[in-house]
Amino acid sequence: MSLLLSWAVLPMTVADGMEPDAAFGRAEVEFFESSIRPLLVKHCYKCHSEKSTPLRGNFRLDDRQHLVAGGDLGIAVVPGEPDASLLWTALEYADEDLQMPPEGKLPDREREAIRKWIELGLPMPPSRDQSRSRGKEKREPGQLHWSFLPLANSSLPPFRSDEWIRTGIDVYISRKHRQERLRHSPPATRRELVRRLHFDLLGLPPSSKDVSDFQDDSSPDAWEQLVDRTLASPHYGERWGRYWLDLARYTDTTASWLVSTGKAHLYRDWVIKALNDDLPYDQFVIMQLAADKNPVANPEDIAALGFLGLSPTYWKEPRLAKEVIREIVAEEWEERIDAVGRTFLGLSIACARCHDHKFDPITTRDYYALAGVFASTRLIGRSLLPPEEALVVEKAHLQVGKLEGQVARLKEEKEQGPEDQQRLVSLQAEIKKLRETTPHYDRPLAQGVDDASLYVLDDGPDRTRLDYRVGESRNLPVFLRGNPATPGELVERRFLEVFAGENAQPFQHGSGRGDLANSFFSDSPALVARVIVNRIWMHHFGEGLVRTPSDFGHQGEHPSHPDLLDNLARRFLEHGWSIKWLHREILLSATYQQSVTFDESNELSDPDNKYLWRMNRRRLDIEAWRDTMLSVAGILDLRMAGSAEILGGAENRRRTVYGQVARRDLDAVLQMYGFPPPISHSPKREVNITPMQQLFVLNGEFIRQRATDLVRRLQPPKDKFSEEIVNRAFQLLYQRPVEKVEIQITREYFQHSQEDAGEATYGRWHQLFQVLLAANELAFVD
Amino acid sequence: MEKIILDRRTMIQSLAGGAGTLGLVSQLSAEQPNRPHHRVRARRVIQLFMNGGPFQGDFLDPKPLLEKYEGQRPSQADLRTERATAGLLPSPFKYSRHGESGLEMSELLPGLARHADELCVLRSMYTDNPNHGPALLLMNNGSITPTVPSMGAWMMYGLGSENENLPGYVVLCPGRPVRFSILWNSAFLPSRYQGTYINHSSLEPEKLIPYLRNTTIGREQQQRQLLMLQQLNHRHLEKRASDRQLEARIAAMETAFRMQFAASEAFDLAGETAATREAYGKGHFANGCLLARRLAERDVRFIQVYHGNGQPWDTHNDHHQKSRELAGTMDRPVAALLDDLKQRGMLEDTLVIWGGEFGRTPTTENGNGRDHNHYGFTMWMAGGGVRGGMSYGETDDFGFKAETDPVHIHDLHATILHLLGIDHERLTYRYAGRDFRLTDVSGNVVNKILS
Repeated sequence: MSLLLSWAVLPMTVADGMEPDAAFGRAEVEFFESSIRPLLVKHCYKCHSEKSTPLRGNFRLDDRQHLVAGGDLGIAVVPGEPDASLLWTALEYADEDLQMPPEGKLPDREREAIRKWIELGLPMPPSRDQSRSRGKEKREPGQLHWSFLPLANSSLPPFRSDEWIRTGIDVYISRKHRQERLRHSPPATRRELVRRLHFDLLGLPPSSKDVSDFQDDSSPDAWEQLVDRTLASPHYGERWGRYWLDLARYTDTTASWLVSTGKAHLYRDWVIKALNDDLPYDQFVIMQLAADKNPVANPEDIAALGFLGLSPTYWKEPRLAKEVIREIVAEEWEERIDAVGRTFLGLSIACARCHDHKFDPITTRDYYALAGVFASTRLIGRSLLPPEEALVVEKAHLQVGKLEGQVARLKEEKEQGPEDQQRLVSLQAEIKKLRETTPHYDRPLAQGVDDASLYVLDDGPDRTRLDYRVGESRNLPVFLRGNPATPGELVERRFLEVFAGENAQPFQHGSGRGDLANSFFSDSPALVARVIVNRIWMHHFGEGLVRTPSDFGHQGEHPSHPDLLDNLARRFLEHGWSIKWLHREILLSATYQQSVTFDESNELSDPDNKYLWRMNRRRLDIEAWRDTMLSVAGILDLRMAGSAEILGGAENRRRTVYGQVARRDLDAVLQMYGFPPPISHSPKREVNITPMQQLFVLNGEFIRQRATDLVRRLQPPKDKFSEEIVNRAFQLLYQRPVEKVEIQITREYFQHSQEDAGEATYGRWHQLFQVLLAANELAFVD
Repeated sequence: MEKIILDRRTMIQSLAGGAGTLGLVSQLSAEQPNRPHHRVRARRVIQLFMNGGPFQGDFLDPKPLLEKYEGQRPSQADLRTERATAGLLPSPFKYSRHGESGLEMSELLPGLARHADELCVLRSMYTDNPNHGPALLLMNNGSITPTVPSMGAWMMYGLGSENENLPGYVVLCPGRPVRFSILWNSAFLPSRYQGTYINHSSLEPEKLIPYLRNTTIGREQQQRQLLMLQQLNHRHLEKRASDRQLEARIAAMETAFRMQFAASEAFDLAGETAATREAYGKGHFANGCLLARRLAERDVRFIQVYHGNGQPWDTHNDHHQKSRELAGTMDRPVAALLDDLKQRGMLEDTLVIWGGEFGRTPTTENGNGRDHNHYGFTMWMAGGGVRGGMSYGETDDFGFKAETDPVHIHDLHATILHLLGIDHERLTYRYAGRDFRLTDVSGNVVNKILS
């Protein structure tokens, strides 16, 4: 791992278009300001400047670097040589297809001025803003953005021994507090802590015994022990696996046109198990892109390929022209690159499909180098059996298919002789035998991928076909402006040059999926580690150290605590990419154990709690909220793994992570609560609070049924208020005793309302329990 | 109702030490990211979606040359579509001129003919892909790939809702169009901007909006229940000082309570007179148009009414007969809707849009059907800042391909947003490192149709 720390800074490839401003004399710049700039402003800037949307031809004349770099048509101006410059050709109206400005040829005098300006070498003052980003730091040529740099070799900064500090994290947080004149908040109560921990790690409430046990535990390492016990729960993987599935745009239902018989849930269950087993993050990633090429993978790990195998697909109508289909196929590749780039690298690589990335050092060549990997990868059902057994099953399937074909043909024949009858019987017996005697014949396949390159070809005059060449891989040409109909030079499949260097080694093995996954860890480990560390941090605190968790490029936000992020990332690597190590490190910090207080002076200077002067209060997401209601009602079905079940059904009492996620028809309640649409990578859960949700709370059958469950569970006296029952309900739902005021409120309700005939004799209790389930206290965690 | 709520508020305020909730609603609606960029011509939009794709030549794009070349396939008509088509098939429906403008309309539109001077017919629409899925996506979401927000979600993001007791973006369909909820999703925009899908095949308000009514307790009892809930919530909040999210949920709970009654009323057609019901006629689409008018009256921003389940206008065979039948269920309610809007003075600031995801071929498929046609088709708009009694653009001699002043879907979207007071190039959302917009990187407002 020490290698990583000395990992060299690579030259920035985007610097091609970023030559430093040549120094010009004052007179030359004055000539530009007085004679040229007004012309450009008047005739050109509407379409060719920073503020133009769209920026025509991707060509800007408002700063020298962009001017020299050219646009879609290539180099526009050669400084000093007007006759070799496209710009001059355009101004001269010499080319019918390229005449600028479009509204009419400029008068001779103005054209001569521009000619002179080109001859002088395009003098211009240095531009104030070299990129189109708003309010971002100026990027010096050759200087890399923070996230592309190696991890800082930061040992802990010096700190005063301070009672508040518990772990390294607190040293960084506390230093920032001092700088920003913030005060940390008092520690949370033990009840708050145990509740926070359960919801955070498991997405489930603690029992009131869990709370009292921890409250009564006087051992000095009580918290540490509780953290370890909770981390070891198998329900941890269900909670954190779901976060991963957001990134993977997981769906239980794939498009109807896919012939695959694979089972999506095998991927979901693999993710849950991998997290429970604390599979090192590098292996976790490599498995998902290339378990089939990973020498340490077990046959069951093939399910990990679901990350790619469950990618969205778009309908490719064979009756359409191949140009149309190629466009659709190119959209699919873009989607894969987007998901992979943002999930693992926190980079929006897909931006480089049509033009070099405007802000990050990613070129269109990089894009097509990766697109080739996905052009050589096919979505297909894959067996989870060891290869030899899988082969036997595959052969048996083929044989059965053949026999069934014979049966079908025989049945179609109008006149069947006794011989045919006999033949039919024996064929059917053979099929039955194969099915019954081949071990694992019915074992479902996983939604995976294999190596097969895709070509879109004519199929006669009226049709188009998709030609998958199994075992072959292909390099793609750069598609100019993203259009498959205008191919440029061929690019070899390889990793991004900003990490792998200008002479990046082409991928060697098949499609290159395995090489790609390995490159993350050999060539860009610092970025990969920062991205995942930040995601884990985000789910613990509600916000990441970087608040754009899938954009670590120039457009993304800077980390609030860059040194902390690097320190954690480095130690995460040193601890073998162990995610559970990272959880523990965070959970044991004093930062995490702060209470959710309100402090006016802190609030004024840091209203977003960017510097973590307190813990953030969290609204439970739909999964944790629904699971909690089932749990406190005493009927949560904790069976793990297996096929997804429809969520809307009142009978579904399993954890929400096992509820069906349909890409095209997402469950209405999930939608209402801002569950990420599984159509693309989703980095962050949005907290949305709407009246429609509250209609579900007030009137939905799901909550009413939970209230009925509580009546059954708590058995209140008919027709009578009981303090004791209310107290037990508070213990069950909120793990705390009821307060006097609350007794008063609930008693008043009892006294002022009539028993409704509809709900038997438990009407008021039923309504009361529904209110406790609906209350903010159940929906938020301090 | 108002009085009861005030009483309840007073009670809550007294219990919670004055922490009232009245201010919260305005605080929530102050979250709008955008305001109109320029003059607002349309405050709301009703889109009448002829899913499946009607044939332009049957309605508003007369092509007499079709008869001359019947059965032939001149090179101009030799365009590749989804399926193989044969020779030209004329439309059997007779055209005549209507209104002061003399707009040419076919006999299939006797009701709409009353409104000839209100219609702005776009004869030169075209789209990118002749499959239903991608074409529906382009029309609804501005892209053939299902990864971006719908037009309605962009409107909500740009302008917000004007009725806090009703969803601001409602999709009425008696069943489901192809691609279903992706057509009104909010994708990467906040999920509160997604459309509310309402299957109006049953007209009971409780069935129209999920969870709208409490089926077990009466209103008074529910009000007492809500009072207890809000008392507990205020007590909870009080101990935690200020918290916007806790406050927001308390406010949303009150809105939901009111919504039960406001929405029931909005979706209840029982209040309409027999004469009105008669004017709209019978059937799902008639009900949809009438519901659209009721929602528009209540300032719902964007209302889409799909003509039917699946793709009713997808006439691959028996085209003439089906087109006549479909027009029969469409013309009358649409005309009644325009009557109503006009009569209420609402047509001025309500934009009505009619059309499918594409058109159909003037050539024949299966002898008596027509295939999808993305090269050229007709849509019309009325009200909300467009010029009436005009047609814009032209298709070729046979109505196959948009030739003069072609209007792409991006142009249509740019124009719709323009009428709503939005500059389509400035309504952007930063996601995945890019500023996304409904019109991607193109789109021009069709200025000549603006009034």
